[in-house]
Amino acid sequence: MADIENEKVTRRRLLTVGSAITAVPFIGMAAPSVLTQARAKSPTKVLDFLTNADVAKAEQEGQLVFYCHENEAGTAGIVEGFHNDFPKINTSYVRAQTGALYNKILSERSAGRFDVDVIQLSDLAPAVDFQHKGGYELYESPEASAYKAEHLSSPAGSFFWTGVDFAGITYNKSKVTPQEAPKSWHDILDPRWKGAISCKISASGLQFVQWYTLRKLYGPDFWKKFANQKPHAFDSRVQLFDRLAKGDDKVTAIGEYPAYILFKGKGANVEFVAPADGLPATPLIVGAVSKAPHPEAAKLFVDWAMSKRGQAWYQTNPNLYYGSVRTDAPPMPTGVRLGDFKLLYPSDWDEYMASRDVFAKEWNGMLGL
Amino acid sequence: MERHARPVTGSAVQSAGSLVSAQKMAGYGVAAVAAVLVVYPVFFLLQASLDVGDPQVRPPSAYGLDNFGGLFQFPQILLNTLTVSLAATVMALLFGFVMAWILSRTNVPGRRLFEQLMIMPYYLTPLLGALAWGLLGAPESGFINEIWRALGGRGYLIDINTAYGIAWVMALFEGSVAFVMIAAVMKSMDPAFEEASQIIGASRIRTMLRITLPLVAPGVLGAAIFVFAEMLGSFAVALVLGLPSRYYVVTTAIYQLVQQYPPKIQTAAAMGVSLFAVMFVMLFVYRRIVMAGSYVTITGKAFRPRVIDVGPLRLVLLGICVLYLFAAVALPLVTLLYASLQKIAVIFPAAENWTLDNFRTAMSMNAVRSALGNSLLLGFGTATIGVLLMGLLAWVIYRSRLPGSGLIEYVVMFPQAVPRLVFAFGLMWAWVVFPIPIYGTIWLLLIAYLTVFLPLGVRTIAGVMLQIDKSLEECAQMCGASWAFRMRTVTVPLLRPGLIAAWLLLFIASIRELGASILLMGPHSKVITPSIVESWFGTSSELTAALALIQTLVVALAIIVLIAVTRRIGAHPID
Amino acid sequence: MQAPLSASSPPKPHIEVDHLVVNFGHVPAVRGVSFSVLPGEQLTLLGPSGCGKTTTLRAVAGLEQPASGEIRIAGVPAYSSARGINVPAEKRGLSMVFQSYAIWPHMTVFDNVAYGLRVRRTSAPKIAEKVNDALDMVQMREFASRRAAQLSGGQQQRVALARAFVFSPAVLLFDEPLSNLDAKLRADMRIELRDLQHRLGITSVYVTHDLEEALAMSDRIVVMRDGLIEQVGTPDEIYSLPRSVFVADFIGSANLIRGRYRPDLATDNLIALETPAGHVIYGMAYGRPVGSELVVSVRTVHLGISSERPARTQNVWPVRVEQTVFQGDFTQVHVGWGDQRLVARCAAMEPIAVGREVYLTIEPRRVVLLGE
Repeated sequence: MADIENEKVTRRRLLTVGSAITAVPFIGMAAPSVLTQARAKSPTKVLDFLTNADVAKAEQEGQLVFYCHENEAGTAGIVEGFHNDFPKINTSYVRAQTGALYNKILSERSAGRFDVDVIQLSDLAPAVDFQHKGGYELYESPEASAYKAEHLSSPAGSFFWTGVDFAGITYNKSKVTPQEAPKSWHDILDPRWKGAISCKISASGLQFVQWYTLRKLYGPDFWKKFANQKPHAFDSRVQLFDRLAKGDDKVTAIGEYPAYILFKGKGANVEFVAPADGLPATPLIVGAVSKAPHPEAAKLFVDWAMSKRGQAWYQTNPNLYYGSVRTDAPPMPTGVRLGDFKLLYPSDWDEYMASRDVFAKEWNGMLGL
Repeated sequence: MERHARPVTGSAVQSAGSLVSAQKMAGYGVAAVAAVLVVYPVFFLLQASLDVGDPQVRPPSAYGLDNFGGLFQFPQILLNTLTVSLAATVMALLFGFVMAWILSRTNVPGRRLFEQLMIMPYYLTPLLGALAWGLLGAPESGFINEIWRALGGRGYLIDINTAYGIAWVMALFEGSVAFVMIAAVMKSMDPAFEEASQIIGASRIRTMLRITLPLVAPGVLGAAIFVFAEMLGSFAVALVLGLPSRYYVVTTAIYQLVQQYPPKIQTAAAMGVSLFAVMFVMLFVYRRIVMAGSYVTITGKAFRPRVIDVGPLRLVLLGICVLYLFAAVALPLVTLLYASLQKIAVIFPAAENWTLDNFRTAMSMNAVRSALGNSLLLGFGTATIGVLLMGLLAWVIYRSRLPGSGLIEYVVMFPQAVPRLVFAFGLMWAWVVFPIPIYGTIWLLLIAYLTVFLPLGVRTIAGVMLQIDKSLEECAQMCGASWAFRMRTVTVPLLRPGLIAAWLLLFIASIRELGASILLMGPHSKVITPSIVESWFGTSSELTAALALIQTLVVALAIIVLIAVTRRIGAHPID
Repeated sequence: MQAPLSASSPPKPHIEVDHLVVNFGHVPAVRGVSFSVLPGEQLTLLGPSGCGKTTTLRAVAGLEQPASGEIRIAGVPAYSSARGINVPAEKRGLSMVFQSYAIWPHMTVFDNVAYGLRVRRTSAPKIAEKVNDALDMVQMREFASRRAAQLSGGQQQRVALARAFVFSPAVLLFDEPLSNLDAKLRADMRIELRDLQHRLGITSVYVTHDLEEALAMSDRIVVMRDGLIEQVGTPDEIYSLPRSVFVADFIGSANLIRGRYRPDLATDNLIALETPAGHVIYGMAYGRPVGSELVVSVRTVHLGISSERPARTQNVWPVRVEQTVFQGDFTQVHVGWGDQRLVARCAAMEPIAVGREVYLTIEPRRVVLLGE
């Protein structure tokens, strides 16, 4: 079982955070759902995985509403996988970058709208915040045993890591000579890339992680110098790589590995660089939402996503190519595993979460608003 | 022929104060609906702009003008907006004037055909134009620049992601309104003025400069102001072409502020209010210049302007018309098709770059399946309800003598001054707290469309209504017909062709709508144009091109079918 | 049908207009107009454009909102500012023929005429009978199934007429119905309309700016100017005894002569005035007030031109022909009379050469004293 090295997320850390949260009384319907869990149903097997959800009821509900941070094709891909396995459950989704998505669900809930069954975020910070607000349905999946505790919520039952997204530097080989090619993170500050380098917008979870981790490594001036590069910022990695592949940008400072694989497969002349200091990584968090309109379908989805079957889907769908943290997951389609990369997670999740506002201000300021 | 005196009986006598007729009820009812539609969201917009307290707290904890003060941090945005709008207005007027002159004053062949074709850029939408021209004019990967480099040029020929690039596309696609207005001005000029000049012996050039131009000038000036106001509120082109390089204009800045995390709602609201204040002033000036009856573009008599024989120049002018339509219609469509069939769109693709995958994926996306269906449904709903609502409003404002009809006109025309995006902002805020759960549903979009299309619909129907002689309705009155009876038997049948035209107009407008829809779409209420934008933000440009083409095709088919159907039930000639 | 006149029961008016004021915004169009219409009579509102006649008519119809005043129909107020009454037009029981005819283009001729009956829920057979009768009266029966938009002006006018009286209204209002027709048609229609009105015996209020029309068709004429009434009277009264300079002038073909009153020359029941040029002319006061400066009016048709000196002594002068205008049935002869030029209308006669000396004579009773 390959371990994820240099993982700064310790069990103790999460437990500390988790206990702080449990001290806060849950809002609304959390109490009854706790009672539901107390009944300890025995899991049923559906297809090739276990579930505590009432599958018949889920199919009767017939619908699943999925909020996701992924781009359109990725989100459509995820629900397509679920729908293929459960054709009686129709799926619909809303996609928006993590920041905007979280914003949306919060304002809806504050206005009394509860339209969402499952939400996937690309940043631990809003996930924990949502848990804090009682937004997640407490549901213990029988598939949870295949996950290490650090890849589940604390306490378990709110959400889990459905995958990991990480990024290095990527450049267009036909626009960049081997001598010029960036090798370390400092190379993205090279003035020759001014106006020809891209990054993501502040709503992106991974961008927040990259900001935090590299800032920790190289000091706060690092990103201030990056601002001088006048980078082009976009919502999704597909946009970044679209431009990179066509040469509209020469380098992208946040070249996500899954996108690199995808575009390479399309024939784009791009090259991935994994700087020695590490690759910023963010967990992709899935959880069933409380007060969901289709609660059983939501639970079924969580189990499906957690299962080997679901994880295989996440790993092999070309619009996703996630790295799985399931203890018994096979390697990624390219043959590598998450453990083969030096991944950088935020060392101090509390500090990380608290610095959200600073990041937003600095990043938005860099981009002009 | 018996004669019997028909005395005015006591029961028919009613005191003026308590007259509750069907007319008044319908009139005031419809006016109340319009007022709620328009005023309710504007109130929330204003409230948000004055909210200086904690953004999460609602209702606002503190009021103040700080948000407006904060706008001074963004002088660049204001400058960008002015630059783009001015450049676009100048270009649009140029296109509009040249095309209007060619098509109504010269003897270029195929004039009538071209006049019909001039509306095509409007159908295609500025969004599509922006997508296509983005593919054509991106400095590195744009097709035009790739051809330029292949021919030996260095660097790039055009950069569409600049102020002038944006203005160019705006002018091409939003400029047809300038054409319509200027053509109307030219048609309303009595050719006798020019003939008098020529009889006296002035040359053609002199006549054009001394007589034609000064006569046409006020109308053109009015068109200029109107077009400028429209450009200020333009959104789609600046979104697609400006956002990558973070070149913001006010509308895209508002969008960005609302969408980013954390959102700056109050600043966005303040920007929105400022923008609409400026547009309001512009439109006020416009109305003063063009004077009364300005919403009816062609009032009273339309003359047949004298056609000038331009001899061999005909071919050159024909070439200009063809060139315009090429740039605005043919080229974009071909470009999108070309891109949609490739994996990674380049101008000289290798054999393995060709694929139909983009179309396959597009067909399975939400954007095509549900968005198309929703858009068509919404188009139907908006057009049908809209015609009813706006027809009644047009009647209340221009035909009835209900007190306060002037105020109602004001309320109805109000959305003209507010950019759609800004209005949607207020709508978003207004209806999220509404006790009935319509937020995120297709009903909210319906309400939004009905609101923002009020000026368009009322103006169109009013134009037709005003051409109907008042005495036709008065005569029915004198024959003893009640208001409802004469509406049914006289007014509506006479209005029918106009109502049908308005229906089609509203249908098309609602399908191509972007600014309002993009903020109000929900998971179950996706519609076409915003979902193309979403695709552009979140998928490859090739996939987006495929998506855009599929949707354009389906909508075009729907419109052709509708036109054929309405021809059957609609027109009968009226003198 | 007028009620027989008797000393004890004068006919009650059918329509009464009392101090009617109508404003358009801040512009007063009708500034206090009062008149009444007797049952079965045709009253014509006559005046130049802008005098308020159409506005008055439309106010009676209920199509204009007055500012103050009262309008009573058969004694019952249809509008009263004092009592806050305003009956809507469709309930007043009136009928109207519009200047533009207002024929509905989307209906056939039959449907156009039947409209008023349909409103009143008349049965289909009754409708057919009445409509056909009405069309017969206006000689449009054969056009019954024609689409209304295909008719000529004159034909539309007749249909409009049929439509207006088919449901036997008590009152017919006419808003310059003949002004869009050519001269010959107008002349013919005038007679037809007059005929029809007599046959049906409907009370009519008629608006026109055409003098001939008014004189030909009316029982009484109301001459209006600037929102006020100048004179009310029978056609003959208006024509022969105009009360003011305006009326005399408007009615047309009037020579206006100003002069100083010469009480010393008054004889019988005649008055005399002396013009600045020194001519003395005898006329009649007809009850108008006599001041020191007088204005008299003489119809052009009452100026006699002869080559020999006539026998009488009063009102005979030698004059010089200054201009002649041939008008077919008559000739206008302009003569110089003192410092003034008078116009005489002479029946077709031998052409008179310009410059000839002739004699001008006027019967004193034709010289009418004007009020102001």
